[in-house]
Amino acid sequence: MKKLFLFFASLMSLNYLYAQEPVLSPLDTLTSNVASINSKLDVMKRLKLSGYIQAQYQIADSAGQESFAGGNFKSGVDKRFAVRRGRFKAAYTSPADERGVSTSQYVLQIDVSEKGLAIKDAYILLTDKWTGWIQLKAGMFDRPFGHEIGYSSSTRESPERGRMSQILFPGERDLGATIAIQGHKTSNWNWLRIEGGLFNGTGAPSAGADASDFDKKKDFIGRITVNKSSASEKVKYGFGASVYNGGFRVDADTVYTVGADMAGVNGYKIQDGKFKGKYAERKYMGVNAELSVAWAPGITSVRAEYIQGDQVGTSSSSSSPKAAVTSYVYKRAFNGAYFYFLQNIGNSPLQAIVKYDWYDPNTDVEGDAIGRTVDGTTGNKSFNTADVRFDTWGLGLAYRWDSNVKITAYYDMVKNETSKNLTSTSGKPSYTKDLHDNVFTLRVQIKF
Amino acid sequence: MKKLLYILLLVAISFEMTAQKVIIKGSDTVLPLSQKEAENYMKQNAGASITIIGGGSGVGIAALMDGTTDIAMSSRKLKMDERLKLQEAGTAFKEVIIANDALSVIVNPANKVSQLTREQLEAIYTGKIKNWKEVGGEDLQIVAYSRESSSGTYEFFKEHVMARKNYASSVLNMPATGAIIQSVSQTKGAIGYVGLAYVNNEVKDIAVSYDKGKNYVNANMANAQNKTYPIVRPLFYYYPTAKESNVKAFINFILSTAGQKIVEQVGYIPLK
Repeated sequence: MKKLFLFFASLMSLNYLYAQEPVLSPLDTLTSNVASINSKLDVMKRLKLSGYIQAQYQIADSAGQESFAGGNFKSGVDKRFAVRRGRFKAAYTSPADERGVSTSQYVLQIDVSEKGLAIKDAYILLTDKWTGWIQLKAGMFDRPFGHEIGYSSSTRESPERGRMSQILFPGERDLGATIAIQGHKTSNWNWLRIEGGLFNGTGAPSAGADASDFDKKKDFIGRITVNKSSASEKVKYGFGASVYNGGFRVDADTVYTVGADMAGVNGYKIQDGKFKGKYAERKYMGVNAELSVAWAPGITSVRAEYIQGDQVGTSSSSSSPKAAVTSYVYKRAFNGAYFYFLQNIGNSPLQAIVKYDWYDPNTDVEGDAIGRTVDGTTGNKSFNTADVRFDTWGLGLAYRWDSNVKITAYYDMVKNETSKNLTSTSGKPSYTKDLHDNVFTLRVQIKF
Repeated sequence: MKKLLYILLLVAISFEMTAQKVIIKGSDTVLPLSQKEAENYMKQNAGASITIIGGGSGVGIAALMDGTTDIAMSSRKLKMDERLKLQEAGTAFKEVIIANDALSVIVNPANKVSQLTREQLEAIYTGKIKNWKEVGGEDLQIVAYSRESSSGTYEFFKEHVMARKNYASSVLNMPATGAIIQSVSQTKGAIGYVGLAYVNNEVKDIAVSYDKGKNYVNANMANAQNKTYPIVRPLFYYYPTAKESNVKAFINFILSTAGQKIVEQVGYIPLK
């Protein structure tokens, strides 16, 4: 009987214990649930997934033509469909403090197209937690030079960067590390940014390629930029200056530079015949400026950038090398620039695009001097098609279907320098007159 | 019977399709005004449903960019960067000023200080003045409260009162205006700034001088309307032109005589 009593007593006490649990009101439960959802949402907000696909159709003037409007056309092809870019980006940002400073960021971006899979960005970004002014970036990312290199392809109005940007900085990115100094978002000095860093100099890999460094020398890139808005918030302007000081090891004996032969005819002459293992220099200086004005006809934007310097390339190209150079190298002084004029049509989703760019790979020669025969007995060589200047006008219209979709129709009109001495040779087109190499691009972009 | 059901169903569907549903996001300053206007508007328009969410002007404008709001409430003008982003997003938009707001500087009711110059306010919020005795009060540390940097009020105060100088790191950023009222009411050495409509008996508003101490003016409806009170700003609605047909009736209501009367009732400055 005593046992039975104890059993019931313990059952009752258990029930009493359960009854002590607080009963939450519906409002408290809701508040608690919302707080729980908010904390989970805060974590999810730190991870940002974004991407875009650019599908396009192009019509070229000539089958198999060389082009900087998305790459050369294959032999016999003058019309093509292509996935120009298929990007997917994941960025994790640590929580920001009240100044808007996040102390760390992880970014990984890939590109998928018919050419394969390529890594575009893979970097870490650390911001000092005390002042929020100093940032360290390391990995693979856009070279901090000028404006067009770092301007996203999804936002850029013309389908491609100018010829100069593509030749000097193929793939835009490189492997390296930079230090940047800039006031945080709520600082009065946020308008000024100074950055500099060291890079391999090899650029980012194309799909399936290896862009590991092949020499000991690291390239320095530095930039100072200013970005401000007027007090009325109707005008935004920016300007900057950049330097590039680098080079690469040459695995060939001979380096050529511009010079005259015995008869005084300019061409390339041997500067050093025992150059193997030595380093060729790449030195650029650039300035850029941007202005946007909001007024009655719609937002008007103009952008310009000018770069000049010394570039070392091969006999057939002035493009920056992505791998060890085993052929003779040629030193050239170059310059180039681009100008954008962009006019949003009123408050509509239409935007008119006018772009002009030039790239002169060798400012020491022009016109008929290119291709002129030189006396080769002392090893001198003639200027060739790699020394031809190109001027490109681009006209386009962009239509923003909605916040995700942009449709762009754009026509590149390419004009090359001509020389009566550059007749057609071994598959190369004749530069005695302007080449038929204009390109029309119709592109649809979806971005999220 | 079956036909009747079909008709009822069709009526229900068409009603649902034509019912006005509006989402409004953004400025906490504009929030109470939008709520009151929406209440009155919905009373007069049975089919209308208006949802209002705060968070700050920056939050509202970001929602306008990503298409998750019909109207963005803002206590500041759009920035040029935001205009460019809206252009990039293909979002054509319109701007409407729905009312004006006086920004009140508030302290704890136990604080003896009742007036400050703009220069003193700037010095307090930049951290140069740290004790109330430096501005004629008792020996008490100043605890300055501000809104978060995404708030339009934060930026307006920085630009118009602090002459674009930086907030001191000691200034405490609060997520909402209500939190500033609560903190100031509970902290003897506190100072904050809020929209006039938020001021209540738990806090004391400070008279402000913009002529280096010659004239001090309190924030109230009369002083704001006769433009003697200096810290007054317009309140904006931004909406995509594509959604104009959905939001226009509500905006017209706010701009009407009845709507502007509500503006005054809530504590804001009517346009006329």
